[in-house]
Order: sequence, then structure tokens, then C-alpha cells
Amino acid sequence: MDVWVVATGLIFTYLGVTVVLGLTANRRLTPNLEDFLLYGRKTGFVILYLTVVATFHSAFAFLGSGGFFYTHGIGFWVAGSWTVLVGAITYVLGTRIWALGKKFDYFTPADMLADFYESEAVRVVVALVSVGFTILYIQVQSRGLGYILVVASGDRISFELGTLILLVVAAGYLIAGGLRAVYWTDVLQGVWMYVAVWAGALMLTYELFGGPLALWRRVAVERPDLLTLPGPEGFFTPGMWIGFMVVFSFGIIFQPHLMIRYYTAASAQTIKWLGATTPIFLMTLYISAALIGLGGALAMPDIEIADRIFPEMLFNYAPAWLTGIILAGATAAAMSTLDSILHANMTVLTRDVYQRYVSPDATPGHYILVGRVIVVALLIVGYLLTVNTLELLVVLVALSGAGALQLMPAVLGVCFPTRHLLTRSGVLSGIGAGMVTLYVTLVVIPHPLTLHGGIWSVLINFIVTIGVSRFTRPPTAATVWRIHGELERFVYGDTEELRRQS
Amino acid sequence: MPSDDYPRFRSHFRPRTRDGRIAVISFLVLFALTQPPFVHTVANRISPWLLGLPFLYAYLLIIYIALIGVLIWAQRRGV
Repeated sequence: MDVWVVATGLIFTYLGVTVVLGLTANRRLTPNLEDFLLYGRKTGFVILYLTVVATFHSAFAFLGSGGFFYTHGIGFWVAGSWTVLVGAITYVLGTRIWALGKKFDYFTPADMLADFYESEAVRVVVALVSVGFTILYIQVQSRGLGYILVVASGDRISFELGTLILLVVAAGYLIAGGLRAVYWTDVLQGVWMYVAVWAGALMLTYELFGGPLALWRRVAVERPDLLTLPGPEGFFTPGMWIGFMVVFSFGIIFQPHLMIRYYTAASAQTIKWLGATTPIFLMTLYISAALIGLGGALAMPDIEIADRIFPEMLFNYAPAWLTGIILAGATAAAMSTLDSILHANMTVLTRDVYQRYVSPDATPGHYILVGRVIVVALLIVGYLLTVNTLELLVVLVALSGAGALQLMPAVLGVCFPTRHLLTRSGVLSGIGAGMVTLYVTLVVIPHPLTLHGGIWSVLINFIVTIGVSRFTRPPTAATVWRIHGELERFVYGDTEELRRQS
Repeated sequence: MPSDDYPRFRSHFRPRTRDGRIAVISFLVLFALTQPPFVHTVANRISPWLLGLPFLYAYLLIIYIALIGVLIWAQRRGV
């Protein structure tokens, strides 16, 4: 049987399974907004683990990372440092976000920030940043999905049709089953993508080089420039290394689809275990990506689009059934991120915009209906953005990640009590200054002084936020007591210090 | 400036327990070893090979695993 038939057939089989899971989740759904949007805040460790790792790793991890190792060599092993940092951030920050969400009934990042900074302007700006930048991410995933179907079908399915099919399936099961459907499909997707990428990497490595260690030795002989920094094209300078580390850790964590996941955990211990162990999955996936990218640099040194190295190697060197399984895994990687972003944007628009400003007193069933309509609208917008833009996957991800990074000072100001309070004027000014800097340092003068634009933007953001906060009115004492007092109690217990001060 | 009505909690950026301090310092020191300038100078080499892997790759892999170990240790100690 032809490779394309097997590959396409397996992808559509996989899509069928996700649809069944979505319909099953629909039967378990109760007409309750918390259930539809937050899985009832009762997600256990295994499901939360797999949904977080599947959501974190996207089309970029599957396609872009192999391409990066292929082009820039070992410098992309910086991925290990950002995945470990994601674990630490989840451990320290995720537990605090969870505690505040549970205590004060937050659904979105904007709920938390608007409550602490006592500002509707903060709510609107955060919602806009959340939606604006993650719509770019919808485009990234959709483009990845389109590529995968084009490659899998041997150009028999057009990029536009492939993108549309996969977007409709992801939106479909989200509409049917809400976050429960997203989480259940993510479990499948997380397992599938991990097994697929490792199976592909090992098969190719043994087939072409006789094993991973032999591959490393070959690379050292034939392409030693791939094994040191800053790489063949001088890309991974110290500034870019640090930039990637920050943008792909904090920048992704602060995107709404990951922050909202913290609200959904059953307990703080669930989040702590999540933080301690997610780097195992996240980091080890990049080990296989290194094998693919570096192996590709030896086996297929003249490929035109580096992002395509993995599927191209599969089609040239792997059996049809394995190629199909792996491309379905790549589809899983992209869809698990895509459905989560669609869900997060639906939640933000339903909760922070519609419920807040349009119809505050409607029934839960009404909000669920509105959420479903919003998903359809997002699907249309995402599709139009996807088929009308031509950019490299990784550049788009970097732009999206660095955008959400602008929430960093505001979130830290809420979640880490200090004696120096940040103010609403401070965080709004900081976000504004950060956005302008981001545009300048990513688009006008990319990465000045070889320091990643995301770092420039967040540095300016911090300086402006702290500077303006020194001269403007902080949140009221009652609010600071309520929220920081809750964090003090949550982290350190009902301490003597807390009792004495209150 | 906030008035006296405001709480004055000690900074949450600083760990208050012994285990907390060990976890934070260990993590930060190890993490610093995965960052410039260290990773672009001392560790930026192919030889000597470790575990059959080129030095920079193996060096980072070992530290990443150690960092995960710190997180798991912190969880088990209730930090």
C-alpha cells in the first residue's frame, strides 16, 4: 500500500477517535459554566499532566525543533533549560494561581489581575493581550496541521483543505464537550505524540547510523560545527540563548491556555507534582528532536525547508505504517495546543467580555451557548489568518510567546507579596511600553545587540511598571489584605506574623 | 506609598525554611551552570566525551536531570 494512503488513513483514524472522545465528554457535561470551562476544578494528576505537556508541546516541538537542530545544531538544546524552568514556574507560581482561583472563583488570568489591581482597564487589556497573541498561536498550529496533511497525503490534500478539516475537528469536539473533551483528547494526544516522536527518532537513527551514539560520533566527524555554540550560522549567541529560555518558559506559561490549566487542578499537591515532573516529558522530547535534526543534517543536508526535515526523512527512510503513526502524532501535537487555545480564547471572551459587559445575569446554559458561538467565530478568524500569512513557524511562536510575556510583572505583583506593591497604572504602563518595545525589537530592529527582543521588551516593561508604581495609587489595603493575606496563609499557614498583623 | 493599614508580609521571593533555602539555592546554582557565560565558554566543547555523548550535550543533560531532581526533592520535602 502506498505510504500516503497509510499516513492519511492513520491521521483520519486518529481524528475519528478524537471526535468519539468529544462526543463521550458531551454526555458527561452538566449545564454548569465551571464544568464546561474549568472541568469543575477537579482534574487529577494524570489527566492534568498529559494535557499540560500535550498543550505545551505543539507543532513547533514536532516540526520546528527538528528544523532548529538541523540548522543551528546543539544550540537548540537550550530547550532543556526552558522546560526545566517551566517545571519550576509551575511549582512556585502555579500553586499560587490555583489557590487564588479556588478561593476567589477566578476563571481567567484577567479575573485575577483585575481583582487585585481593582481595574476594569486591566481586565480589558489583559483579555486583549491574551486573545490577540494567542490568535497568532492558532495560526501557528493551523499552519503546522496544514503542512502535516500536505506532506502525509503527498500533496493530494491542499494546505487550505487540510487546515480547515483539522480546525473543524478541534473546534467540533471543544463545542461538544468543553474543557473535558479537550483534556480527554489531550491525554490521547500526549501519549501518541511522545511515543511517535521517539519511535521515529530511534527507527531513523538505527536505520541510518546504527544507533544514537554512532550518530553523535558521525556528527562530530562530519559536522563538528553543529556540536558547539553559537552554531554554524552564529545564531545561538548568549543573548539568544537567554532569550529563548525566557520566552519559551515564562512567555508560554503566561498564555491563557496554560494559566487556566492551573485553575482546573484538584489540589495544590497536584500542581506541585506537575511542576516537579513535567520537565521529564518536556525535556526528553527534545532529545529525540536532536536525533532527528542532527541525523537529518547528515542524511539530507540540502533540504529546502528545515521545518520539514522529520516528515521528509520518514518518507525517505521509514516504513509506511510508522510514517503514518508518526504523522498522526504530529497532528496530535498541533491539535492538542490548538484546541487548548481555542478553549482559552472562548473562556476569556465569554467570561471577561460577554459575561462582564454584555449580559451579566444570564443562565449558565446561555453562556455555554455563547462560548460555542465564539469558538465558531475563532475558527473562522484562525482559518483566514492561516491561509493568508506566510511566516516560519518558530518566528510566529516567538512573537506569540513574547506577547504574553508582558503579563509577567503584573502576575508576579499579585502572586508574590512584597512590601513594594505594583499599581494598576504601573502594570498598564508597563504592558504598553513592553508591547511597543516588543514590536521595535522583533520587527523594526530584530534582536538588538544579539539579545532576543522578548528580553528587551520585558526588561522595559519591568522598569516602567516598577517606576510608575512608585508614584501612583496602589490597590486598597482591603484588597491587598484579602489577596496577599490568602497567599500568606496558603504558602506559610496561619502564621504568628499573619495573626499579629491582622 | 501604602499607609500603615497595609499588611507588611516578608517577601515571598525569599524562602523562609531551611529546605526552601536549600531547594532555591540548589536550583539557581545549577540553573546558572546551564546559562551564559558558563555554557558559552567552559562547557562549549565537544571533548571529552561523556557517556558516549559530546561534552556540551552530555553536560547539559546531566544538569537538567539534576534540576529535575531538585524539584522532586522539594516536592517530597514539602517545600
